[in-house]
Amino acid sequence: MRPRPWGWNPVGRRRYAILVLYVGHLGWITLGHGHGSRWQAMLETLSWPVQKISAPLLRSRAQRAERAGSLQRAQYELAMLRQRLESIQKENAQQAPRLIEAEEAIRTLALKKQVPLEMKAARVLVNVRSAPFGGMILDQGLDAGLVRDQGVFCPEGVVGRIWEVSQRESSLLPLDAYNASTAVMLAQSRATGVLQGVGPGRAEIRYIGGQEVVQIGEPVYTSGLDRVFPRGLLVGHVVGTRPQGAELQVDVALAAPLNRVHQVLILPPQPRIDLAVPAAPPKEGKVKP
Amino acid sequence: MSQPAAMPTLWRCILGAACFGAILLSSPWPGPQAVFHAFLVLALASGFESPLAAMLWAAAGGWILEGSLRMYPHLGGTALANMTLCLLAQWHFRNRPPDSRTAYWGQLAAFSLGHFVLIHLLVRLAAGPHAWGWGWLWTLVTIPVWGTLSLRMHLPARRR
Repeated sequence: MRPRPWGWNPVGRRRYAILVLYVGHLGWITLGHGHGSRWQAMLETLSWPVQKISAPLLRSRAQRAERAGSLQRAQYELAMLRQRLESIQKENAQQAPRLIEAEEAIRTLALKKQVPLEMKAARVLVNVRSAPFGGMILDQGLDAGLVRDQGVFCPEGVVGRIWEVSQRESSLLPLDAYNASTAVMLAQSRATGVLQGVGPGRAEIRYIGGQEVVQIGEPVYTSGLDRVFPRGLLVGHVVGTRPQGAELQVDVALAAPLNRVHQVLILPPQPRIDLAVPAAPPKEGKVKP
Repeated sequence: MSQPAAMPTLWRCILGAACFGAILLSSPWPGPQAVFHAFLVLALASGFESPLAAMLWAAAGGWILEGSLRMYPHLGGTALANMTLCLLAQWHFRNRPPDSRTAYWGQLAAFSLGHFVLIHLLVRLAAGPHAWGWGWLWTLVTIPVWGTLSLRMHLPARRR
């Protein structure tokens, strides 16, 4: 049986191959001549499935690249912000002592305006309270008219008294010194006594009668009987009581932050007892004209 | 009486590869290149038994020729002309084998002219206008040489 010339047999396949070869060349030279838009259109048609498949891949790659770029920008901005934060923190750390001193000066000025006495302001140059028999050194002395036993206080409360005076500086005996004595009174019972220092930030009131009723947390004010302080300046608060013989010893936590006081006010020598001094320290940072 | 055997396919392939090399290497000289090209297409490739093999050899010769010239903006015209003339010559020599040498030369001359004209037309179609050149004259003049060499491939079997 003779094979069919255009069937799927070796003869037919050869004919198909010849046809494809010939028609392919003919199409190649016919379509290839002239403008390239036809080839472009044909190639786009042929590559449509590949483009469809690869488009999400390319999109995800572009998005990943964009995210990487955004991450790099964010990391750069973060590094810049950290650097800026560090510089600000460093600047703040440098400015902090001056800021604290400025705030303290503002409060001291406010207090000076509220107390009807002619007082002098002074800075604490050295604070050596932790040393045995140590005290504080102020930047005012005989030049400023200071004498011994002038009272010293700050917006939070009483600090101490002038102990020695030199030409340009003076030493201050704080309330918590062992050899410091101050005439005080309790706010509610109005009982008077003598405050003696017993250690850093602590003092106790002597010569209070055992029958007195003293409450924990009760304010302690100066009584003015020692003629160093006027009546009514805040000294501290009661933190404990204990009977000792006929007396009642009262433990007091001093109100003035003796460790970190920088600005103080110096009272005039032997001030009047009955002065209308504020019971509470002025609020921070507010100065009344 | 024993007859001489036809040229083996292996020798045809070696001769075809040599023609490829000759076409490639003679690209600086268009005249001899046209002779090698015409010999490959009209004499050697048309002598194959299979039309598909003949077309492939002819097409390869066309692509090699155009590729070696490196002057056409779009290739393929020579290959298509080669395939067309190769099929035509194969069909002709199979149905009307040459009886004499001079008749064979005459047939080759006719096919050479037709080959040259068709190449020019198809290359013009594919790549645009181009010069005619003198390759056709080289081909016609050298027909006695390459026509005589290829005569045995196209003689009737009884005369080989």
